Amino acid sequence: MLQLILRRIGMMILIMLVVALLLFMINEGDPRLIARSVLGPYAQADQLQLWIEQNGYDRSMFIRYFEWLGRVMTGDLGHSIIYKRPVADIFWDRLGNTGILAGVTFVIMVIVALVLGVLAGMKEGSPQDRAISVLSIATTSVPEYASAVILAGIFVFWLGWLPGTSSMTSGFNIVELILPVMVLTLYGFGYIARMTRASMAEVMTTPYIRTAVLKGLPYRHIIMKHALRNALIAPFTVIMLQINWLLSGVVVTEFAFGYKGFGALLLEAALRRDIFVIEACGIAAVFVAVFTQTIGDLGYTYLNPRIRFK
Amino acid sequence: MSDKKILGRDARRYTLATERAYGADTHSYLPELCDQLKTKKIDRRDFLRQAALLGMTTTTAYAMANVLTGETPIKEAMAATPKAGGALKVSMRVQEMTDPASFDWVEKSNVARFLVEHLTRTRADNVTVPYLAKSWEASDDLKTWVFHLKEGVKWSNGDDFTSADVAHTVNRWLDPATGSSNLGLFGAMVEEGADGKKRGIANAVEVVDSHTIKFNLKQAALAMPENFYNYPTAIVHKGFGGDYEADLSKNPIGTGPCELADFSIGERAILKKRAGDYHDGAFHLDEIQYFDHGEDTNAWIAALASQQVDMVYRVPNDAIETVKRLPFVDIHEATTAQTAVMRFRVTEKPFDDPRVRQAIAACMDHQEILDKAFKGLGQVAENHHVCPIHPDYAALPPLKRDIAKAKKLLADAGYPDGITVEIANGDTEGSWMTDACAIFKSQAEAAGITININKMPANQYWEVWDKAPWGYTAWTHRPLGTMVLGLAYRKGVPWNEAAYDNPKFDAALDDAEGTLDVNERKKKMAVCEKLIQDDAIIPQPFWRSVFKATNKKVKGFKTHPTLYHQFQDVWLDS
Repeated sequence: MLQLILRRIGMMILIMLVVALLLFMINEGDPRLIARSVLGPYAQADQLQLWIEQNGYDRSMFIRYFEWLGRVMTGDLGHSIIYKRPVADIFWDRLGNTGILAGVTFVIMVIVALVLGVLAGMKEGSPQDRAISVLSIATTSVPEYASAVILAGIFVFWLGWLPGTSSMTSGFNIVELILPVMVLTLYGFGYIARMTRASMAEVMTTPYIRTAVLKGLPYRHIIMKHALRNALIAPFTVIMLQINWLLSGVVVTEFAFGYKGFGALLLEAALRRDIFVIEACGIAAVFVAVFTQTIGDLGYTYLNPRIRFK
Repeated sequence: MSDKKILGRDARRYTLATERAYGADTHSYLPELCDQLKTKKIDRRDFLRQAALLGMTTTTAYAMANVLTGETPIKEAMAATPKAGGALKVSMRVQEMTDPASFDWVEKSNVARFLVEHLTRTRADNVTVPYLAKSWEASDDLKTWVFHLKEGVKWSNGDDFTSADVAHTVNRWLDPATGSSNLGLFGAMVEEGADGKKRGIANAVEVVDSHTIKFNLKQAALAMPENFYNYPTAIVHKGFGGDYEADLSKNPIGTGPCELADFSIGERAILKKRAGDYHDGAFHLDEIQYFDHGEDTNAWIAALASQQVDMVYRVPNDAIETVKRLPFVDIHEATTAQTAVMRFRVTEKPFDDPRVRQAIAACMDHQEILDKAFKGLGQVAENHHVCPIHPDYAALPPLKRDIAKAKKLLADAGYPDGITVEIANGDTEGSWMTDACAIFKSQAEAAGITININKMPANQYWEVWDKAPWGYTAWTHRPLGTMVLGLAYRKGVPWNEAAYDNPKFDAALDDAEGTLDVNERKKKMAVCEKLIQDDAIIPQPFWRSVFKATNKKVKGFKTHPTLYHQFQDVWLDS
């Protein structure tokens, strides 16, 4: 197991280095583009050249890459072109904000999805299963930008119960989180619920469950003690993948509610070519993707002893 | 000649109280202006505006207009007594706020407007009144302008506000290294240097004494007081860009009613009222809080609907009906010279051939674009960027869509089988811009012109707005036609996005700018308008009304056609 963990971590580092190189090549491959981004559209050719020389961008790209890598490793993410301050000052705040949104959503979404998935899978084909399945498919089919408008229409404009934006202008306010969490949960829970349902339904048809039923064990006991643990192995990887989605897939929701998170930062940076912010966000998103996948693989191996990697 | 002499012809009709308001020597053209109003050659609005520009106080100008026309305008209903205090919350983009001289978005100036101020202030009714200047005088030939500054005004760092600050600010604008669009605006103080760059003429700015400053122009210009209220013309402290870094967000030294308490790009700007008396009367608000809710206009409206904010910077036209249904919200409409122009860059192929430009322009049905893309909330434009609400507007024969003419022009230009062109659009003012492009695309198909719409994010568009061979650029309202034409179409000025270079146009514009007689001026503007129209550099579909929305507790607010925030009279009713 230790060897597996080390090999996985090694792979993770390798992937990160390759992705970082790609990110760097795309964003900083052409020094004139960087100079243009920093100095603005009105900069003259001689000003661009002067900036390139003053900032060492006339050197080889690989030298610059390793220098940049060293700076990133020590927490220096560069200076934002839009926000006019160090990227690290904004980046960690925004990442923290998305962490709060993603954390709350994750907990609610996973609980709702597992409960509904198990309820549906317990009695495959029952009206309960049909209702939950239709609900899961319907909510997952509505994109976030549409559900954001629909929910805002109901809870902000019609009922007047909830704040329309989540920019936390007067400090952190849990009420402002309700709408974005609802949008993300509605969109995300269906997938996990469907996977849980399928896994649960499959487990319920296995011989050991049939044996347990025939032995006369209480139904609740069969579900909780025998079916559930095995039924949760398959959704585990899907749940881990949701963490990645919650970090980099919340762009639309953050945009719709003016939430100052990582997704909104990435979108803003991409729209205005704030390359140092794009690089920082790119690295973070890839790290979370690779890390959660690694944890998912390791957890899957741990939960299912039949799987062994060599 | 004094106002008293002018009023002599109607002396019996003046009260002693009104006369007491006069006294300063004023411009020799004023008697002629009075005659024109009396004989109905100009209307009341033109009179008020022009009299104010020539240095007459607004009180005097209004009183004189009443006497000369024999009319007394209906007074506005007595307003409630303003209450002091409270924080006004506004949803608006919070952008970087570095150098006021190089501002390129009105939003930047809206935050800065409560820190650094202007010599003059153009009110929502288009009349320009004193602000940091207490009065001004122009020479008879309009080539020398003397501004008298208010005394006792203090900078937030304790320094006295003096002519040195104004001279420093204006000289910065006139220095090409600053990169200010004011080089185009103040063309009468600018010349082309040996290096081909525009720069200020020698002795353009002359400090007379600590509170008097003189501007020496190379040619006549009537709009100087109005130009001093254009949004990149805020007066900065004499140390700005010299003793300390030219960054207002880091060094928010100003004469304004507020100080910058918190500023975070993309998030918020918090302005708190400064202690002590304000030089421009009472300022009722304790705080102005700007919150950035991102680019999604739905979020702005949602913030208003849930009363997280009291005001939104603007209401997009597709949200007007929604906002009207909110019972606690007032919606404000302003007829404006806000517009967007489908600007050709005349140096780029195929638009370097005027026949191609004329062919494309001939395909436009302005009314259809206005009706379909903007729900008819505005008025049709005439491809020359001077608006009927501009006091110097001259009506030209109406434009008509002419497909046969377009086909012939294209064939003459070497495109008998039609042409494919691309227009860049960033929806910088809303999605109606894409709609307008799409409607024009369908209109042009009849002449064999295929228009591909290159849709891009708003910020990306602002990087190419003056480079794209053909682009759809939004322009804000300005009170004068000459002001817009000087900023955008004079040869070599920073905002000449079309790269237009027509000596006849430049001469005609100079001529119009230096003409005092309102009707003569209109005739000269007709020449400018016709040149732009005939050269077909800007197919321009329409002028649009703008809408703002405020919570009903916000009192005393008037929408400025430029969307400039003027909160001098604003207060909050608890």
